[in-house]
Amino acid sequence: MTFINVIHAHSTVLLIVSFLLFSFLMPILERWKNSWCATMAVAAHVLAFVFIGNLSWRVFTEGTIHYELGGWSPPWGIEFVVDYLALFMLITISTVSFLILIFGTVDLTHELKPKVLGLYYTLYLLLVGAMMGLAVTNDFFNMFVFMEIAAISACGIISVKSDRECVEASFKYLMLSAVGTGCVLLSVALLYMIGGHLNFAFAAVAIQDVAHIYPNNILVALALFSVGFIVKAALFPLHVWLPDAHSSAPSPSSAILSGLVIKIYTVVYLKLLYKVFPIELFDLLPVFDMILILSALSIFFGSIFAIVQEDIKRMLAFSSIAQIGYVFLGIGLANSTGLTGGLLHIFNHAMMKSMLFLSAGAIIYCTGIRKIDDLKGIGLKMPVVMGAFTIGAMAMVGIPTTNGFISKLYLALGTLDANKHFYLAIILISSFLNCLYYFPIVINAFFGESEEEDGEEEIQVKKLPLRMSVPLIILGAGCMIFGIFPKYILVIIERAVEMIL
Amino acid sequence: MIDFADVAMRLFENMYYLVSVILFVIGFHTMLTHSNLIKKVIGMNIMDTAIFLFFVSTGYVQGGVAPIIEPGVEQAYINPLPTALILTGIVVAVSVTAFALSLVVKIYEHYGTLDAEEIMRIRSTES
Repeated sequence: MTFINVIHAHSTVLLIVSFLLFSFLMPILERWKNSWCATMAVAAHVLAFVFIGNLSWRVFTEGTIHYELGGWSPPWGIEFVVDYLALFMLITISTVSFLILIFGTVDLTHELKPKVLGLYYTLYLLLVGAMMGLAVTNDFFNMFVFMEIAAISACGIISVKSDRECVEASFKYLMLSAVGTGCVLLSVALLYMIGGHLNFAFAAVAIQDVAHIYPNNILVALALFSVGFIVKAALFPLHVWLPDAHSSAPSPSSAILSGLVIKIYTVVYLKLLYKVFPIELFDLLPVFDMILILSALSIFFGSIFAIVQEDIKRMLAFSSIAQIGYVFLGIGLANSTGLTGGLLHIFNHAMMKSMLFLSAGAIIYCTGIRKIDDLKGIGLKMPVVMGAFTIGAMAMVGIPTTNGFISKLYLALGTLDANKHFYLAIILISSFLNCLYYFPIVINAFFGESEEEDGEEEIQVKKLPLRMSVPLIILGAGCMIFGIFPKYILVIIERAVEMIL
Repeated sequence: MIDFADVAMRLFENMYYLVSVILFVIGFHTMLTHSNLIKKVIGMNIMDTAIFLFFVSTGYVQGGVAPIIEPGVEQAYINPLPTALILTGIVVAVSVTAFALSLVVKIYEHYGTLDAEEIMRIRSTES
């Protein structure tokens, strides 16, 4: 059974290679059998589940997996490491992107021109592959390459609609992410200059040794890394690209961009902070306090901006800025409870925000409405969609029995552990603000009365296809299940946090 | 009291780093302050080039030659790794530039202008 042995030994890299392979098969398939593209994209995800299943079984039984690419051992070759943190990200990415893809197979035929449909899956699979690569990579330059792949394909799935807002938003995103990756590459150069290694583990040891000789190099590198990843993850002062990009893109793109792409950069940043930089450095430069302040600003202003939006997708995009603040809050608290909350919020927010964007997409698909004010009385006409939206809204606010409550609880306990009560107040205020912009939509949709009572301009509602409603139902059920039984995902997160701290 | 001659000497010795930092700032400034979209792309390229120069010069050894080892010859060799990495970096930068320029073409088709402020004005009058 050599074939199974090969899969068993190389599943780490096969996971990423299969995504890249399928994505480059798409342009050929598109010319030959146009209708197969969607099926093949789904097949790539199913294949990925096999590899991730194998990986998680091995991580739970044998511990961390170190994979040497091409058989070159670490200081020279590229190394992939699958620990609990990487595994957690792999599971999150594969599950959520699979559900978004199922939804997208119907929604995209409506939103895109037929001739770019096959190419969309190329970009989508490239993006998913690059994110998985970022989750497992343990090498600076490899990280840079995956970041650029993710950036280009993320810009691609925004601009694929090629109307004027999309193209302009995509250009803005491309420019700012070029600044981000530029900063990251420069700081890689600064660290390589003094450490002489590109592998995270070896670089960490080398930097530890020379930290007292070249403190300025390390400080500048840390500053550049922070700027680069904060631009990419859209924390408050550097979030300017996000609202346009996420609101104008096709709905499945918005869902994956808001749900997963901005999260993966926070995870890479977390890895670098704890694995590479020496701990004494944080006495010199209070980077965790800075992250806390930025995340508090992000939580507050993201919510404030979201309140005044009229377009439903734009409101959700601003809400993402507030929610990424929670994840950074978890990183900044730097204790185990807070970090657990932050990582849990990555998973929870990936589910609820993609669900909200997908239900917004379903509303646009069925009725063509984008304005929040026009949604009056729509709830009873589209019960599945508005039901999912309601669960998502409740999870965003953090009502008990939804998953948002659990992660906010952990974050709140984390602020108490760290003795930073101010941030507890921020969490509470933000929850009220979330109420302020999510619940009017829900209340209006179910109890609001349409203005055209005489039925002259009754909203035309298309029937929701099964492939669009099933992902919404699964995500909604997931939000409730992980709100009531959070321990199934906390098993992985707690071990990941143990290994980080 | 700072010894200016010493500082100048050290700056001269590390000229590659100095020049690349100056280039980086020029590129960054061009990218963020100019409203012409093509100039923004040019600024991005200057910034990338500055980073590449910086990265390559970290591998340079004074008086070193290309690392082709001849038996029996004792020489200082430069570090080939940064050069090899930057080859990849250049390819990435080229593809980003190509994509950015194609987006600029699309923007020009839609708005009829390349000026970012003009585009902002068009968008604000529409909505």
